[in-house]
Amino acid sequence: MKAGPAPQAAATGAARIVYGLALVILLVLPFVSSTYTQYLVIHMMMLAIYALGFNLLFGYTGLLSFGQAAFYGIGAYVCAGILLRYPSLLAGILGGVAAAAAVALIIGLLSVRHTRIYFTMLTLAFGMLVYSVLWKWRAVTGGDDGLVGIPRAPLDFFGLAVIPVRTVTSFYFFVLAVTLVALFVLHRIVHSPFGLSLQGIRDSEVRSQFVGVHVRKHRLLAFIIAGAYAGLAGALLAPLESAVTPVISHWSHSGDAVLVTLLGGVRAFFGPAIGAVLFVVIRELVVRITEYWQLVMGIIVVVLVLGFRGGMAQAVMDGWQRWVVHGLAQRQPPVPAQVQAPAPVGQAQARVERGEEP
Amino acid sequence: MSFQVLLYQGLVGLSSAMYLWLLSAGLTIVFGVLGVLNFAHGAFFMIGAYLAYTFYGILGFNLAVSIALSLVGTAVIGVLVERFLVKPIMHLDHAFQLLLTFGLVLIFDDLAKAIWGGVFMIPPMPRVFQGAVWILGTPFPIYNLFVIGAGVAVWLLLWLLFEKTWWGRIVRATAADPQMAAALGVDVKRLYTGVFALGVMLAALGGALGTPVRVVAPGMGSFMIVQAFIVTVLGGLGSLTGAFVGALLVGVLSSYGTLLFPTVELALIYLIMAVVLLVRPHGLFGRARA
Amino acid sequence: MHGARGALLVVLVAVIVFLAVPSALAQCELGVDRIRFGGQGVLTGPLADYGRQIQMGMQLAIEEINAAGGILGCQLEMRFLDSELAPAVGVRNARQLADWGAHFFVGTDSSGVAMALGPVLQELDIIQFFTHAATHRLTEELVYEQGIKQIVRVAAPIYQDAVGALVVKDMPEVKRWATIGADYEYGYVAWQMFKDLLKRHRPDVEFVAEAWAPFFTMDFTPHIASVMAANPDGIFVTPWGGEAVMVLRQALQMGVFDRIQVWWQSMGGSVDALEGLTREIQADQFKGKLWASARYIHNWPDTEMNRRFVEAFQNRWARLPNYSAESAYSSIYIAKAAVEKARSLETDAIIAALQDMVIETPAGVRVFRNEDHQFEYAVPAGRAMYDPGYPIAILGDLRVFDTSEYWRYPPFPPLD
Repeated sequence: MKAGPAPQAAATGAARIVYGLALVILLVLPFVSSTYTQYLVIHMMMLAIYALGFNLLFGYTGLLSFGQAAFYGIGAYVCAGILLRYPSLLAGILGGVAAAAAVALIIGLLSVRHTRIYFTMLTLAFGMLVYSVLWKWRAVTGGDDGLVGIPRAPLDFFGLAVIPVRTVTSFYFFVLAVTLVALFVLHRIVHSPFGLSLQGIRDSEVRSQFVGVHVRKHRLLAFIIAGAYAGLAGALLAPLESAVTPVISHWSHSGDAVLVTLLGGVRAFFGPAIGAVLFVVIRELVVRITEYWQLVMGIIVVVLVLGFRGGMAQAVMDGWQRWVVHGLAQRQPPVPAQVQAPAPVGQAQARVERGEEP
Repeated sequence: MSFQVLLYQGLVGLSSAMYLWLLSAGLTIVFGVLGVLNFAHGAFFMIGAYLAYTFYGILGFNLAVSIALSLVGTAVIGVLVERFLVKPIMHLDHAFQLLLTFGLVLIFDDLAKAIWGGVFMIPPMPRVFQGAVWILGTPFPIYNLFVIGAGVAVWLLLWLLFEKTWWGRIVRATAADPQMAAALGVDVKRLYTGVFALGVMLAALGGALGTPVRVVAPGMGSFMIVQAFIVTVLGGLGSLTGAFVGALLVGVLSSYGTLLFPTVELALIYLIMAVVLLVRPHGLFGRARA
Repeated sequence: MHGARGALLVVLVAVIVFLAVPSALAQCELGVDRIRFGGQGVLTGPLADYGRQIQMGMQLAIEEINAAGGILGCQLEMRFLDSELAPAVGVRNARQLADWGAHFFVGTDSSGVAMALGPVLQELDIIQFFTHAATHRLTEELVYEQGIKQIVRVAAPIYQDAVGALVVKDMPEVKRWATIGADYEYGYVAWQMFKDLLKRHRPDVEFVAEAWAPFFTMDFTPHIASVMAANPDGIFVTPWGGEAVMVLRQALQMGVFDRIQVWWQSMGGSVDALEGLTREIQADQFKGKLWASARYIHNWPDTEMNRRFVEAFQNRWARLPNYSAESAYSSIYIAKAAVEKARSLETDAIIAALQDMVIETPAGVRVFRNEDHQFEYAVPAGRAMYDPGYPIAILGDLRVFDTSEYWRYPPFPPLD
């Protein structure tokens, strides 16, 4: 009866090969493609960071925030403000992330007492409050024209080493390095006891409390981390585009994080990253074919929710299950259905489908 | 700032609150009964406006007939949407409901652009509503008075419908306990469709009533929907009184904001909601839902 | 069937040869197969007409030039993208168009998009002819101060919005001014420039009330009411396009035009606004008190070139040209003049060719300002009125002023 673990191990093995391949492609890309493609991939990476942080809060902790764009905007504006006065990329990025995390602490303290739709609406409200401040505080933020002329300052390690990143290609490698670090850190967080507690809170708040988990503190910490990631993505935007405008904090941009995550798959760690790639690619393709890109995007979203709620990641894993399990089963004696490797999505997804309290 | 000016400004706020009320009423009813958060509600507002414009501005029917026809047309579209797109997502997490209905918004916005063109349209004002009545020494448009009247009338009618009619009682019972209602022989599926149709008709009414004084353009619902969500939430999800009071609060306070605190207008509605939720976590008239 | 297939093959070869030979014989002197213009403007939402007009203006110019043999024998082609009024999209579009091989950019509508594009144009080293975005910062800051030479503005900037001050300075009974302002940079700056200019000529004037309406406001009644509470004689209104139509109709309902003397509508001379208000203007509901300007109006100047342009535009698109269409059309012709003079597509050569350029366009004679790459030309102010010679309302009773009376010049003093 070896059919049980084998497909699972094969799946993990195959996943490792896929990730390795992806890394190789990313490293080789600038040497085989145009600046525009590199620019698009930089955007994919930034979007992935943004969505991965969001998913810590949504997929792992069960909190739907519609205000992540606020932290993105703060990260972007603070980084811009720093770079305009003191051109050190490191200072700008760290400053942006720190500011975003600080504001996330404040907003989080006020919001995590609430749950479900009320939490969502509160985060939406706070997000839009940040947007209004960015729009109206013209003297500091430049109003709706925003801050322009932000330099793509060199990476300055306290005077010890200075790496210029002016060209798109060099900035690309910088963002790639940042993305890999961010991914690694998030992976450790998610697989730590803290990460497991978050999932416990998502699955049942009451039981977690009984086990001694301090629900509110955990939620707050998850909220801050998500805010920091959003701030990081925003801080990368400032030197890339040389300009920041208030619209990056609008709720519709918060919606992008939700869409990208659901597109790629909520319950898979790399889901949001996959979603980021898909989102950028689909948008580029659709815009070239038709003026009615909203229509196409809308249809994709509807089809996704009706048929592929686990996102692309789930669809791929299901497909893999079907051929590998099916394929392996053909070479071995037939296996009773329940021994089949469980889909990584788990019980929580099924619960969600039944509408029970997450 | 004389007392008259303040009162007048409040009256103006009242009439703009009515559009918000009509949009929020449908949203809160659908959530209260079906448990569905319908982001596309604003799209029905837009469809109502476009249909009313088509009948009134292009085909030349009279305003009342145009509004009635637009309600019927929107209800038909609403029923189709409910049967094929809403039923499958009723039991899902709210995130998926928001996402699917958001997808619908994108589709409807582009369809409107494809059918009616991207340029905004403005129908003429019907003669009976042209002009103003003198209130507090200043002309107040007759049309605005009409809208206030319509909004209040809708509130009364809805109250009567849900409190005093047989259908209303069944709806309330089903909202409270769908399984029991089904066990007692209520055709829950048909009821849901009916309630959804009522909800979208209210949205369409809001859109249609705005046609003589506003432009009709693709995407007009997307801006209003966030405001409607806010009003619905701050009033308490599922509560009609909450939606009415919430809309009045937002409409009137925004109007005073314009007069007295012009810098805050952009943020005002979000501030109001944040403050209300912090004080009453389930909204003004909401209850913790099981 | 061999005979038929053989015949088909011969025909196919003949067609290919027939098509190939002329292009082999075409003599594009610049060493490219086509000169590419990348355009962008807003194509979705309530302001969608402005992007559409840019597209129409560009296409008309390109078709005319191609029919006349192109630029130095090179044919022109264009691609147009929707900027969605979003800076992120505008920047992405620019990069995408650069990837397509655009030699020049034309557009955009929003000042926010324009400001975000500045540094990108420098990075891509592609010149953009700006056709609508009005912010003074684009030329005063990005070109004059920061030296981004790839920016060239063909349309009259926000200075034009102050011209109303020159009209109303001669109305002694109009002393109290209020504004219903667009709640973003454009609204603030236009109001500031109007106030500064008016105060210079009429120190007795008072500014009594302000109401600010964010983007996508549909209900202006609170703003109108709050401004009217201060009993102004004149109101300066900056929400434009569809919003202008809404605020005016709502103001009519509130009896505003019985109480004030003047309503200055920013960009009220724009085609979409006049189309939306024709019924009311025809019935003289504004009692001759509605004044406006634009960045070009189709009925001025009365030159051969303007008449020909308007007629060609109407024949091609069945609509009157808006100012964004005219500036897009003129941009292509300006690019043509520059390329012909420079005999090159290189940025520096083009900029050199633009220096001190004086060129006749449908909007009148445009003069290039070397210091900030802004083309200077006058646009009149007028009263909204109905003339049976036109399908929609127009601006009439035109007052033309010398640009030196209301434009800003280098070195630019700080605003407020």
